[in-house]
Amino acid sequence: MSPPASAPTLQVCRECGAGAPLDAHFCPQCEKILSLGRQGDYFAFLGLPRKLRVDPADLERRFRELSRQFHPDYFYNAAPAERRASLERSSYLNDAYRTLRNPIARVDYLLSVEGMAPRTAQEAATQVPPALLEEVFDLNEELDEVRALRASGAPADAWKPRLERARAPIEAKRAAHAAQVDELSAQWDALVDSRADEATRRGVLTALRDRVLERNYINNLLAGIERELNS
Amino acid sequence: MSRVVGIDLGTTNSLVAYVKEGAPVVIRDTTGDGLVPSVVTVDAGGTVYVGREAQRRLLTDAAHTAYSVKRFMGKGAADVVGEARYFPFRLSGDAVVRIGLGEREFTPPEISAFILRELKRRAEEHFAAQGEIDPEVDRAVITVPAYFNDAQRTATRDAGRIAGLEVLRIINEPTAASLAYGLDKQHTGIIAVYDLGGGTFDISILRVEDGVFQVLSTNGDTHLGGDDIDRLMMDKVFDQFVDGFTSADRIEDVYQTMRKDVIRAKCELSEREETSLFGRVWTRRELEDLIRPIVERTLGPCRQALADAALEPSQIDEVVLVGGSTRIPLVRRSVEALFGKTPHSELNPDEVVALGAAVQADILVTGNREMLLLDVTPLSLGIETMGGVMSKIILRNSTIPATGSELFTTFADNQTAVDIHVLQGERELVGDNRSLARFKLRGIPPMPAGLPRVQVQFQIDANGILSVTARELRTDIEQTIEVKPSYGLTDEQVEQMLVDSFEHAEADFAARLLIEARNEAETVIQATEKSLRAPEFAEIAASALAPGERERIEAALAELKALLNADQRDVLQQKTRALNEATQHLAEVMMNRSVHAALAGKSVTDL
Repeated sequence: MSPPASAPTLQVCRECGAGAPLDAHFCPQCEKILSLGRQGDYFAFLGLPRKLRVDPADLERRFRELSRQFHPDYFYNAAPAERRASLERSSYLNDAYRTLRNPIARVDYLLSVEGMAPRTAQEAATQVPPALLEEVFDLNEELDEVRALRASGAPADAWKPRLERARAPIEAKRAAHAAQVDELSAQWDALVDSRADEATRRGVLTALRDRVLERNYINNLLAGIERELNS
Repeated sequence: MSRVVGIDLGTTNSLVAYVKEGAPVVIRDTTGDGLVPSVVTVDAGGTVYVGREAQRRLLTDAAHTAYSVKRFMGKGAADVVGEARYFPFRLSGDAVVRIGLGEREFTPPEISAFILRELKRRAEEHFAAQGEIDPEVDRAVITVPAYFNDAQRTATRDAGRIAGLEVLRIINEPTAASLAYGLDKQHTGIIAVYDLGGGTFDISILRVEDGVFQVLSTNGDTHLGGDDIDRLMMDKVFDQFVDGFTSADRIEDVYQTMRKDVIRAKCELSEREETSLFGRVWTRRELEDLIRPIVERTLGPCRQALADAALEPSQIDEVVLVGGSTRIPLVRRSVEALFGKTPHSELNPDEVVALGAAVQADILVTGNREMLLLDVTPLSLGIETMGGVMSKIILRNSTIPATGSELFTTFADNQTAVDIHVLQGERELVGDNRSLARFKLRGIPPMPAGLPRVQVQFQIDANGILSVTARELRTDIEQTIEVKPSYGLTDEQVEQMLVDSFEHAEADFAARLLIEARNEAETVIQATEKSLRAPEFAEIAASALAPGERERIEAALAELKALLNADQRDVLQQKTRALNEATQHLAEVMMNRSVHAALAGKSVTDL
């Protein structure tokens, strides 16, 4: 998991000019809080390996400990540069904590720091993932019929149960997906531990990415059914 | 070193507290009263009265008196049209509400600044009396409802500046309360703070561990509180009083006298089952039936806060009640039923917020790391996108400080400016959310359409207040941002108000002397009346008083009472002295009798 050769391996303290490790929060030489550079990621910031299984209690503990180190409350009387650094580090910490405590956001974030994020939000929404073709076909047929029923003035109890039934296989698909993401997450974590080669890593990440796209698509389908039910 | 204080700037009452030898205490006046009613009179002569005195004047000079001004903080005139009928003062304005008192107009931050200056003065007098070398108070932590939006928080900070205070931090009332509660016990667990005050309602859910008070979620309604209960009662009183006469058309001073009595009855019904109001018996049951819809409106936000924290009611370890309206038994029962727990109310619900603010002020200036407060932003922050839809950038209940960023580009060749509309709220459409500000990004380098990549960074600081910076990424050029707040004062306006406030300082001094003289007069009047009513008075008058002495006392008393509400301080002092002299002999006689009574039956050796 070494960074590309061109990436910086040190940050520089703006206060005294000393070099500090990328994941350091305070300068090892002058002990001042370091201003936030552009490098690093949420995992490294919290001192965590880039893994998908996170122990919630451990994450909470790290979050509290780091908050106690650089919350703006404790820099009220400090120099302006330190106050700014404390605000930047606290904001980044809060963003990191919020992202990593949510399992779905965590996968999305891993994909983005590994350069595998879906290119745009539309990518997920417009293209039907191959694995879902059958379900989407059935659902669209059902939706068309329901709309026709409603247009002809049919009462709610004539079409609502049909929508509810149509939702079931999609819900099942979503549950199956969650299980697959769990399985792939465990695989990924094992690869991190065994320092697996790049190709193997890419393979798992690509599978994860496909699951994420499918999951997003499924969520859109479910939201569509929900809208139809409530309109 | 000047002192720092914590201030609870409430809808109905305000308080100031500080940390004394490690423990927070409320600063009280000489009578032991810690509450300063959030009422301000600016009389026809421009003299300012704050607190109890202004509350008295509400009954005689309602048109020059403002109360419940917190409801108007950060609001525009269009927001408050429906409310004007409940207040004796005029409401007008545009992006900022203007409160008309007589011929003058004030913004809500200016009225609030009068209250803050009174609290500052009270604290400074207290520190001076304690023999502090530098009793000046120039820095404060001020609390706001957790559900206050950016404009309401900014208005509160402006009020502090106008009052000549450096606002160290704006903190949320329920979170402040939890700090005050967390002091004596080393808590670990999940706490729900239910805060129903005079004009606002908040619910916050916190996890407390290792001295870190972390807010998990918050919700509320900044327009729901004891005021609304008073209004329901007023409307009902009017209904049964006279046909065709409603609370909308009224004689102001009469209305205020009735309102005072309605509030008295409301408070009494928290203590007993029935009371009388305008010649009729009101039962607690009747009040509860009337206000049940209001209490129920608080439960929705509670459920939403639980859902946002992903918790069931049974997972809440402790429930804390804050705000005067939580004294109402129906409120307590409803909270208890929702969470399945008896709520805490060991600390005075009127004082707990100020105590917490004092603790936070102490943390800021001393760097004391025993406790840390991690709060959240109550409302999602976003920008307007195509089709009038709000795109969220920082979600509600994100721990603050928090950042979010968004990339913008241009739609025309060589376009050098972009307009950005910032919003706060949870709804889909722009029009359903609160507009915070419109920004104009300028200085984008001329490029073909779509090529510039302007990164706009939104920063919510630890006060919950937004700032915005922008940078064009291709050229790395920082953009200038021109802010037009949708509801609020510009920096220049705040500066001008600060200057204006110095002009009031002189008049305030005169007002203070008058108030002191009046208080002294009241004390003497009360003492005299008590003597005249005493059971033994008839006997004393017959045996010990000179002929005509009783009549002289009664005449002096009547003269002073007649002058009590006049504004001539020297005459008031003179008549107070006169009454004092007239009653001196009587006081001596009565004192002698009570000493004899106390000693009767005791032998010299018992003493």
